Amino acid sequence: MSLRRSALQTFVQVEVPVLLILAFALAPFAWMLLTSVKPTADLALFPVRYLPSRLTFEHYAMLIERTSFAVNLLNSLVIACGAVLLGLATSVPAAYAFSRFRFAGRRQILTSFLVINMFPIVLLIIPLFVLMRKLGLIDTFVGVIIGHSTFSIPFSVWMLVSYFNAIPRELDEAATIDGASRLQTIRRVILPLIMPGLVTTAIYVFITSWNEYLFAMMLSGQTVRPVTVALQLFIGEFTVQWGLLTAGGALIALPVSILFLLVQRRLVAGLTSGAVKA
Amino acid sequence: MKRRTFVKLAGASALAGGLSAPSIAQGVATVRWWYHYDNPQNTPAALVAKFEQANPGIKIQAEAIPWGGGTDYINRMFSSVVAGNQPDCAMVRLAYLSRFSQMRALEPLDGHLANWAGRSDISDDVWKLNRAPDGKQYYMPLHYVVIYLYYRQDLFQQAGLQPPKTFDEFLACAKALTKDGMFGYGMRGGGGCHDNWGPFVLGGGASFEKGGMVSAKALAANRFFVEFATKHKVVPPSAPTDAFRQIVDGFKAGRTAMTIHHIGSSAEMVAALGDKASAVPLPRGPGGGGWTYFGDESNAIFASSKVKEAAFRWISFLSGAGNVEQAQLSGQLPITTSGGRNWTGHPKRFVDASFASLPIAQTLPDHVKTPDFVGRVLPTNLQRALVGETNPDEVMKAVEQLFHG
Amino acid sequence: MTQATARPLTPYGFLLPALLVTATVILYPVAQTIVFSLQDYLLYAPDDARFVGARNFLAVLKDEVFWISLRHSAVWVGGIVFAQLALGLVAALLLNQSFWWRGLARALVIIPWALPSVIIGLMWTWIFDFNTGVLNDVLMRIGIIDQPQAWLAGPRSALACVMLALVWQGFPFFAIMILAGLQTVPKELYEAAEIDGASAFRQFVHVTAPAIAGIVATAVLLRIIWVANSLDVILVMTGGGPGYATHTLPLYAFLRAYSGMEFGYAAALALMLTVLLLAIVWLYVRRQAKELDA
Repeated sequence: MSLRRSALQTFVQVEVPVLLILAFALAPFAWMLLTSVKPTADLALFPVRYLPSRLTFEHYAMLIERTSFAVNLLNSLVIACGAVLLGLATSVPAAYAFSRFRFAGRRQILTSFLVINMFPIVLLIIPLFVLMRKLGLIDTFVGVIIGHSTFSIPFSVWMLVSYFNAIPRELDEAATIDGASRLQTIRRVILPLIMPGLVTTAIYVFITSWNEYLFAMMLSGQTVRPVTVALQLFIGEFTVQWGLLTAGGALIALPVSILFLLVQRRLVAGLTSGAVKA
Repeated sequence: MKRRTFVKLAGASALAGGLSAPSIAQGVATVRWWYHYDNPQNTPAALVAKFEQANPGIKIQAEAIPWGGGTDYINRMFSSVVAGNQPDCAMVRLAYLSRFSQMRALEPLDGHLANWAGRSDISDDVWKLNRAPDGKQYYMPLHYVVIYLYYRQDLFQQAGLQPPKTFDEFLACAKALTKDGMFGYGMRGGGGCHDNWGPFVLGGGASFEKGGMVSAKALAANRFFVEFATKHKVVPPSAPTDAFRQIVDGFKAGRTAMTIHHIGSSAEMVAALGDKASAVPLPRGPGGGGWTYFGDESNAIFASSKVKEAAFRWISFLSGAGNVEQAQLSGQLPITTSGGRNWTGHPKRFVDASFASLPIAQTLPDHVKTPDFVGRVLPTNLQRALVGETNPDEVMKAVEQLFHG
Repeated sequence: MTQATARPLTPYGFLLPALLVTATVILYPVAQTIVFSLQDYLLYAPDDARFVGARNFLAVLKDEVFWISLRHSAVWVGGIVFAQLALGLVAALLLNQSFWWRGLARALVIIPWALPSVIIGLMWTWIFDFNTGVLNDVLMRIGIIDQPQAWLAGPRSALACVMLALVWQGFPFFAIMILAGLQTVPKELYEAAEIDGASAFRQFVHVTAPAIAGIVATAVLLRIIWVANSLDVILVMTGGGPGYATHTLPLYAFLRAYSGMEFGYAAALALMLTVLLLAIVWLYVRRQAKELDA
């Protein structure tokens, strides 16, 4: 944690270990990328062929032109963003209440949010399907987003309670004494402070929704079908379209990584030094 | 993305429906149809267009449902039936006929079939296979595959071997070809293993009748099959969890000399191995008996449909005038006799092997427990025997227990 | 909203949206599942379902496969969560240091987590493949093994292989969660420790660890629940095999529910898992009671 470190020290103590971890994280992904630019004939070979016999983007072209993958990506984006909005809009107030108020049933309600997530979804899915059908939400964005909120809300509430609790309550009191209303305090003091927590929670909800398959498979039809379900169409009964699948995987991981590249700055900007001294 | 491309893509995703609301115009019937093709690039759009042109009063909403190893497709379908949201008609498998019957979910087609000219173009054997226990026809046969034996012509020639006609010859070939890191037989012990187990065990004398799995003959047949792995070691060590992807890849990569699958993988095999890959019907058992799996696919109309007449016209089109084109999309064999006669969708040697396998081709029993047999009981018990955790006889006891308590 | 008048009801107002959404969606399915567990419910014969009381639960306790699956579930959850946490913690501490390509490193480390489970399952199955897998090829080239191994077909190696895939998928979760937690540690504390001449290790133990303990504990708890219930990667990689070698409780419940359509029995299996998880949560809530009520 030394604040003054030489370039060499940084390289040996930080950058090399980071490279090792990245190698572990990226090796299978790199293999996937490599597969996606190989001609199909290179795929099932013994011994393994590492480099493509010729570089090809035919799988990507096919994916975009001959299947509905581009639309599915868009659907996924709508669903994931919707899940983030619904998740945060409901759980920020809830988590604030859990963190800052003491009221009857507090611990029980907080625990019950966790209990919800303990039932294996595979068993809930059929009753849920029946319910969604009654509400007329099958094959709508709202239906899938609400489906995803079953895991995003409990998670967000719990994570955010931890982050709220990490903010000293003296800050609220100081602001209140200064004459700020509760909502003003939340907006001007608390929210900026828990920004890293908010961003992290949003990322969690986004990624989980982006990758979710079972709810999406059951609740979406052709109209709002997201990528995970579309991807499953490449795995037929008798063939696996490796080229399409790996190209699809690359395209799925890309937006999330770019998104994270953009928001990760927020992960440091949260607690500006000085704020805590207050 | 330019707006025009986007609109085009949106259209492609909505292929023949999905986005369009059910028509309420007078005299226009909208038929919702669920299907699954192996190749996501294949869509029934052209077929739908052709049909709609010939039947101006009918709109077809075709929806691709992910197969997901069978579970997703079936799961989605049964949930829809429970929720009352089922399509008008859909592709279905024989293994689920009993369960559909129990739910009274399907419409008998006998009335429609009586007046259908195309009926005689589908062989009586197929109609018989598809008949429900109550004697009615709920399924309209669509396309099929038959399990046969893939073998490496070149390796057999080099070793001076003929494709095996009996179980003993099969074992001899497998032993002779297991050398230098190559395995004689690419066995499927993972998901879908019934199509490798059946030919040797059901073909060797086991049956689904009461006591049929635990007779001396049945137990011996199963032991013979398990010993490919445990005693003779003519299968790759990965066989207990190898599913179709692994057996096909193993064969394509030149790591196995024989494997058991059907015409659906022939295109891949030929692309990788050319003329070296060929096929023959599966070998016969000691008593001359044989068994191979008839991989069926039909369409059925749901009892809840409000447009049964229109739905029947669509599914009878797919099993009649449109059958050859439909089989090209699915990569399987057309069900019609006329379509099969001049079929050019696969290389001839594989079509011949499929036809030659028909005399011993059978389906699994029409029983509510059949999906559980295929999906859980056989794989788990067989795998335990293949890795040597249990006595092979336990497999047969478990299957007997499942069907006969 | 004036604080004085709204006070007693204010917290419930804040809670209402979250409660409303979750309750409408989840209450009915959960209640339905509990009802299923008390019936001999078969999905294809819903009209024949009879109330059987605790019979499904008694049958579960006598089911050999339940106990095998339970044992695997314990190994599965313990092993995966521990490895993910350890790797995630190290990654987070490193990614919290400043170096010029930190932003890129943070974005790249998230990739395993950004991939759908079905792709992860298929990719790892392919990597572990006996014939065409890259793992065998690499290990043979560097001389660790001298012939290909059937990783996923070995009764002893299969579970470890699937667990490795899940550790890979999930460690970025911990890395990101902890990274966010580290931002709440006031810099002043490190500066003070520095002045006192504390070593990096002591700084971690006395400054960093206490500050992120609450967040890590919550993340671990949420992860335990998630990992305990996750089955899609197993399903793709081995389907639970060979034999029962990779059967975990949710996987076994899944097979009973969808292959046998025995929803009654499967619901009982699932509820057993829920009860066990509840016990863990109960322990956590008791331990954290002080912090929760702080």
